[in-house]
Amino acid sequence: MSITHPPTDILVLGSGASGAAVAWRLSNTDFKVVCLEQGRWIKPEEFPTEHADWEIQARANWHYDPNVRGLEQDYPLNVDESPIDPLMFNAVGGSTIHWTAHTPRFHPSDFRVKSLDGVADDWPLSYDELEPFYDAYDELMGCSGINGDPANPPRKERPMPPVPIGPDGERLAKAFDRLGWHWWPSDSYINSVPYRGRNACNNCGNTGLGCSRGAKGQTDVAIWPEAIANGVELRTDSRVFRIETDADGKATGASYYDANNEENFQPARAVVLAMNGIGSPRMMLHSTSDAYPDGLCNSSGLVGKNLMFHPYAMVSGLFADGLKTYKGPLANMIISQEFYETDPQKDFVRGYSYQVARSSGPITTACGYMFGRVPWGAEHHEMFGRRFGDVNVVGIIGEDLPEEHNRIELDPVLTDSNGIPAPKVFYKLSSNSRKQLDDAIDNAEKVLNEAGAIEVLGTRFLKVAGWHLMGTARMGDDPETSVVDRWGQAHDADNIFIVDGSVFVTCAAVNPTPTIGALALRTADYIDRQRTDLRS
Amino acid sequence: MPDTDRKLTDAELQLLKSAMDLIVPAVDELPGAGEMGLAENAVDIANRVPGFRHALKRILDALALDPSARAEGGFAGLDEEQQTAALTFLEASMPAAFDKFVDLVYVSYYSDERVHKRIGWRTGALQPLGWDLPQFDLAILETVSKREPFWRKA
Repeated sequence: MSITHPPTDILVLGSGASGAAVAWRLSNTDFKVVCLEQGRWIKPEEFPTEHADWEIQARANWHYDPNVRGLEQDYPLNVDESPIDPLMFNAVGGSTIHWTAHTPRFHPSDFRVKSLDGVADDWPLSYDELEPFYDAYDELMGCSGINGDPANPPRKERPMPPVPIGPDGERLAKAFDRLGWHWWPSDSYINSVPYRGRNACNNCGNTGLGCSRGAKGQTDVAIWPEAIANGVELRTDSRVFRIETDADGKATGASYYDANNEENFQPARAVVLAMNGIGSPRMMLHSTSDAYPDGLCNSSGLVGKNLMFHPYAMVSGLFADGLKTYKGPLANMIISQEFYETDPQKDFVRGYSYQVARSSGPITTACGYMFGRVPWGAEHHEMFGRRFGDVNVVGIIGEDLPEEHNRIELDPVLTDSNGIPAPKVFYKLSSNSRKQLDDAIDNAEKVLNEAGAIEVLGTRFLKVAGWHLMGTARMGDDPETSVVDRWGQAHDADNIFIVDGSVFVTCAAVNPTPTIGALALRTADYIDRQRTDLRS
Repeated sequence: MPDTDRKLTDAELQLLKSAMDLIVPAVDELPGAGEMGLAENAVDIANRVPGFRHALKRILDALALDPSARAEGGFAGLDEEQQTAALTFLEASMPAAFDKFVDLVYVSYYSDERVHKRIGWRTGALQPLGWDLPQFDLAILETVSKREPFWRKA
């Protein structure tokens, strides 16, 4: 027996980086907004950094990979055909709970790769059009950083000064200087000072495990309290299993399972998908109907296709100066964009960023995430002692290019705990991406050696690194080659919107969340200004 | 050892202790990981962390079956050189399980407060203390700030 709720105007699916932004923006209007989230609220005292066994929890119930974590609110993924494991989190706040909050913006050129470099496609909007929404999202989530970066356009002052780069960051920065290479203090959605009632970061280090101080830009603390106070209803433990449509293909709402596994239906005038770059196409492919036999809004056949990750590699430097490199936010020191753009002298197109990171606690050191596993046996203690607190990592984010064969489909067998088909991921690393990473590894070794590393270790490819899920319901002006228009509105139905990383046309060589948030605010702004017909 | 939660038999526990002593041997005032009494802790952790329990079972089974371990006293009765050779053989012949097993021993060892004290790590939760980290001197930006803007116009 299905429970039918009173109708709402806007139904947002997902409470993470994009869903929260849409809900918040429309909470300041006359729209009635309901948000469905399959996870639950996490209390500050539940975060692992409040517990002595935080490094064990990071390998178990707080693992980045839902296939390892295996919580009730997670869904499994079939990754047999992917060398990269997608990472995500399901709770109020979505993956902003476990992200490291490194927040560079796209460059203006990233929206024009076809015109500039003859690859992939241009976006149907420009950096200039998105800039005010970047600014708004920075303010909402709380951006720490500093102006003057020569690698990026001038921009509005960040709300907070940069987070400390630490003595280890200074050492790396000077090495970049000596090589004549760009670097800049990272932009981060981490409070360098108290901000909007939230604490300043106290440098505990492990931003990826949720912040119990409220010092990180997680939407559960940065956005939801205000959105709820403004009247948005956030319904947790609500797992959507179908987006419902009428005979004309317009959305009528969404069906979901509640905490008691009972079926519910939430009617709505419009549905906004914000379930991430794998969750949204999964739900679209599952929401077949007479109007959409191949999946919701899939007349282009592109739903689920053009999946982009940022393939990651890293180079680790071992130092001998005892700087205790575990102090400070894990991945928020400095960024280098010296090799960001296409260089005609090289054998690949587009480029990469360096994201310099810190080390972590003793278990992580011993098990080797940062510098390979410490040898067992007679050498163990000496080798552990050399590495603990003495490693910095240069992370490499290369620009992945969209390819249709990289995709998600619905797995014919694997399901979540409610019997909803799981996504199956198909991904192959392109030769262009491989060449990018190889070039980046070579240059990272140079900078670490310049910084005085006594040993350098390159990791050519990271498997557990599918942080960024993009491209699977791309944006464009042509309904035959894209799923949504420049406003995130589906070409096939004018009351269905997509606001997460699915809509990315290309993925740049930076972490995507500020761009996801800016696009979401822009779509919400469009709904507010242009779609008054969706208001009851 | 079945692939479900339960305590080890005494023989299995002894085998595990002996192997742990070789993986993380004695240092300074601390005995090896097995002698420190961390085998039970390792079993508890194996029951929490996906992949560890299976690896533990495989390695203990393999050690129990190793012909050299059938000598009087089993694996624990071998001399250190023979024990090391047995583990080295497992490392080469079943690397995935062995790596997980080593991780399990490390997780158990580096969770222990005595170890934290020795390596200078503040034991307990990261919060609420965090770490002190001074703000940097903006003068460090001087060199890079002098560079002409080089972002690509589009």
